[in-house]
Amino acid sequence: MGVADFGGEAKRERRGGTRQRKKMRRLRYRLDMTPLVDIAFLLLTFFMLTTTLITPQVMEMTIPPERTQVEVRESELLTLRIRHDGKVFYSLGQDAPQPIELKDLRTLAVRENVRLKNRLITLLKASPNVPYGRVITVLDVLNQAELEITERLAQEGLKRERRFAIAPMTEQDEQEIAQL
Amino acid sequence: MPKLKKRRLGFVLDMTPLVDITFLLLTFFMLTAKFKSEAESQQRFTIVRPQATADTSRLPDKDLAIIKIGIDTIAGDTSYYYEMTNEADWARVVAATEQLQIPPTVRQVKVGLSELDELIRRTRIVKPTTRFAIDADQRVRYKWVEDLMEVLRQNRATVFNFVTDRRPPEQPPM
Repeated sequence: MGVADFGGEAKRERRGGTRQRKKMRRLRYRLDMTPLVDIAFLLLTFFMLTTTLITPQVMEMTIPPERTQVEVRESELLTLRIRHDGKVFYSLGQDAPQPIELKDLRTLAVRENVRLKNRLITLLKASPNVPYGRVITVLDVLNQAELEITERLAQEGLKRERRFAIAPMTEQDEQEIAQL
Repeated sequence: MPKLKKRRLGFVLDMTPLVDITFLLLTFFMLTAKFKSEAESQQRFTIVRPQATADTSRLPDKDLAIIKIGIDTIAGDTSYYYEMTNEADWARVVAATEQLQIPPTVRQVKVGLSELDELIRRTRIVKPTTRFAIDADQRVRYKWVEDLMEVLRQNRATVFNFVTDRRPPEQPPM
């Protein structure tokens, strides 16, 4: 036995021997937990209500580093133009622009990409006056089409490589779609 | 001998499991709580983000430079706002762009295109791995975004993110 134990025993003996022994022996000890639980629930409610579990998501965008003229075959070019009022027009190659609804845009993107077997270049031109939200909506539709394009091309044994660019809208573009 | 029926005057419910779970949840929510950053609390506008289909890519929370295009709630004017999540980098960018005279306590700075150009360039020098995010209000004219993309391009920051909100699945794009 160690020295410390001797000390402890002596102490216990001293306390046990006194007349206060009966008062010290508390077998059932009950702590009122109510205030603790109250506070815990209060804090829990606060943190639960103030927490936002949804963090904003992102849409990744890549732009070419240089503004250079790239020679592309007209037949492999799909131009999408968004007019100032939000209407979308598409033109294949040098065809005249035609209006298109958003719900058909996805079908068009899939169809043309599959038809040209991955060589299609999509060019998006948005009017400076169109609300930014509209551009994102169109981009979102194109992103949604990607899934199907990848799958359809994979069936033909091709690996999808996305060719997409955003270009500023020129006055000529504006004029072309102004009357439609 | 018939059993003596014990009359129950009251009953004691064992609260221990309840309290256990409560504290567990409390700890979880306390630890996951993310408080408003200093930059956000200095902000005088709210951004109505454009909606996009649910995506798994999330905004990175480290080394991010956010360029906000917001509409001031009081004055109603549109402007660019620049902020960085990394405080040390931000301090270095502020120190390097003396001519802009940004007070060191300011976390979010209202800027024009030329200042933005300077800030983005400095950011690229201080930490080239910084990622850029464009957090624009869906109501702003696209020109604001187009000009910004041009500035990013000039500074060779050709990969960036558009911050969007999740569109509820039952609501198709119009």
